[in-house]
Amino acid sequence: MKTLAGMTVVGLLLLLLCVWERVDIVRVGYQIERLKQQKVQLQRERDELRVKVSSMTAPERIARAATEKLGMGPPEQRQVVLVKVAPDFAPGRGAELRLAKSDVGVRIP
Amino acid sequence: MLGFSGVLFRLFTLQVLQAAELTEKADRQHRMSVTVEGGRGGIYDRQGKVLAMNMEVTSVYGIPASLENPAGVARDLARVLHVRVDEIERKLKREQKFVWIARKLDPEQGRSLERLSLEGIGTRMEGRRFYPKGPLLAHVLGFAGMDGQGLEGIERRYESYLRGETQKVVLQRDALGRTVFPKGLNEQGPAPGHSLTLTIDEVIQYIAEKELDEAVTNARAKGGVVLVMEPRTGAVLAMAVNPKFDPNSMGGLTPDRWRNRALTDAYEPGSTMKVITAAAALEEKVMGPGTLINGENGQFAAAGRNIHDHEKLGWMTFAQMVQKSSNIGAAKTGMALGEERLHRYLKAFGFGERTEIDLPGEAAGLVRDPKDWGRQSLASIAFGQEVGVTPLQLLNAVAAVANGGWLMKPYVVSEIRDGKGAVVTQTGPQIRRRAVSAETAQALTAILEGVVTHGTGGKAAIAGFRVAGKTGTAQKIDPKTGRYSPTLFVASFVGYLPVDDPRLAILVVVDEPRTEQWGGTIAAPVFRRVAEQALLHLGVSSKSPIKLALYDEYGEARRGGAERTLVRLASVGDPS
Repeated sequence: MKTLAGMTVVGLLLLLLCVWERVDIVRVGYQIERLKQQKVQLQRERDELRVKVSSMTAPERIARAATEKLGMGPPEQRQVVLVKVAPDFAPGRGAELRLAKSDVGVRIP
Repeated sequence: MLGFSGVLFRLFTLQVLQAAELTEKADRQHRMSVTVEGGRGGIYDRQGKVLAMNMEVTSVYGIPASLENPAGVARDLARVLHVRVDEIERKLKREQKFVWIARKLDPEQGRSLERLSLEGIGTRMEGRRFYPKGPLLAHVLGFAGMDGQGLEGIERRYESYLRGETQKVVLQRDALGRTVFPKGLNEQGPAPGHSLTLTIDEVIQYIAEKELDEAVTNARAKGGVVLVMEPRTGAVLAMAVNPKFDPNSMGGLTPDRWRNRALTDAYEPGSTMKVITAAAALEEKVMGPGTLINGENGQFAAAGRNIHDHEKLGWMTFAQMVQKSSNIGAAKTGMALGEERLHRYLKAFGFGERTEIDLPGEAAGLVRDPKDWGRQSLASIAFGQEVGVTPLQLLNAVAAVANGGWLMKPYVVSEIRDGKGAVVTQTGPQIRRRAVSAETAQALTAILEGVVTHGTGGKAAIAGFRVAGKTGTAQKIDPKTGRYSPTLFVASFVGYLPVDDPRLAILVVVDEPRTEQWGGTIAAPVFRRVAEQALLHLGVSSKSPIKLALYDEYGEARRGGAERTLVRLASVGDPS
């Protein structure tokens, strides 16, 4: 009698486990779907921002902002000095360093 | 008992006899098959800057049958879409199951539309091509159509790489139409298209376009082309064509506007062609740099045609002939070479055949066979008439002189990567053939340097750099009369620098300038400005010794100061 009751309980538990498993698969399935949606949404946002960054950094736009808003202009020949770093200072390196220097005498090393 | 057996019987018929049929019926209800396409690949410049990319945007459609109040819906839509109300209303009143109202909206519009959520109006996401830099490089990039297919330029040439994979996906839907976890667990979405890395440098392209636009405007010209190439590799750094267009809004433009004239249109190059004549003469030892030629005082009759020079010249050396751009001298050089040899060198430098650059629509130009030449052809071709060349061909030929005589194959796409970023193919420099010997190239370079220091190309000179080049002022054929027009010209300058280790070969062509006609005054200054800025951008330093003017200008002309500066620079330059 006792064993029969015990087996029924175990059987019921197994059945419940089975049902729970099924239900959970569906639940997780919906969750995955939702996360996928979210991922797509975020990817779209990322792409939109990429396009924006790219159009904001277009050389034409930067040049316009620099000349019109900041009153800058392209450097002239004498305003740019390309300096070769002496080998004593950078052993084994032939690196060149570009140095822009403003013409009003401000030091910008 | 009877009832039970009845239920059992029904169960049997449903589950066993009609099983297949019913399963199919159920599947039809909650399964939906859709075609998904991977996004089109992006296009990047040599520094990895985005030049073209895809973005998912909203498209709106309507189901006219399910609309109760089309007029009201149309009014709401018109406010968001900025389209006329009656236009939308007309679409919504059509006797159709499905009608597109607007496709590929701006992201902002898409968002406000989703907030609206109207009955009978649906949205779908579609990939739209964006060219974030607007008109920059438009003629090379080309553009893609409404369904994302490449129609021009790189978009067209590399269509098979750029296009994303299409895949049929079966989705499971629940009663509400939401997708449920798919049955097959096939989670691999369609692969996106390959992305392309170009040899073009965004900044140099911008410099070329800006200077060209300015020159065309100032000269009130019809248009123009500026090409920048790396002579050693054949990589194209910039390809600017004027007038420009914006590939983001193609409405109302004709093919004439987006044709890449740097390679689709052949023109008579005029004096820039003397570079090739001179190369042939030097290589064949018909002339040396010091060979004397009589300039005939600016008037010379050859094969029944009078040839004029813009300057009355007497005896001059071969080098001076090139530097002063004497037509008479060039005609005599051509005659000394003979038809067969001149033709052979035209071919060797790639004229009359496509350069095979990886862009669509390239023209081969026109170089006739010597047996079809007229009496005057030899003389005319020697100074750039009676031949049709594309700007790209001309620059590529001159770049061969800069490259020690090796003719390269020009190219714009250097790398193709798949969706995961792995390199699929890589393109490097490709040699086509040796056009002339290294000695000839060197001798010719010395002569062309003289064009800038002593000749017609003085305005191309750049302080601190040795420049070689050649001017060209070609008369155009007047379409009305069929003869050379006295007012229509093509002004050009082609050259390379620095002479001892050429980094850039540049061609400037200004079509029909109206203020002046000379290549030396219209095109040479453009060459100088483009070259100057491009060299600065590339960090090419002048070979002329730098006076340590650094500390003179700082106002503390002491040795110690200079050394301190250098020490600091060294520490900045050292990454460790």
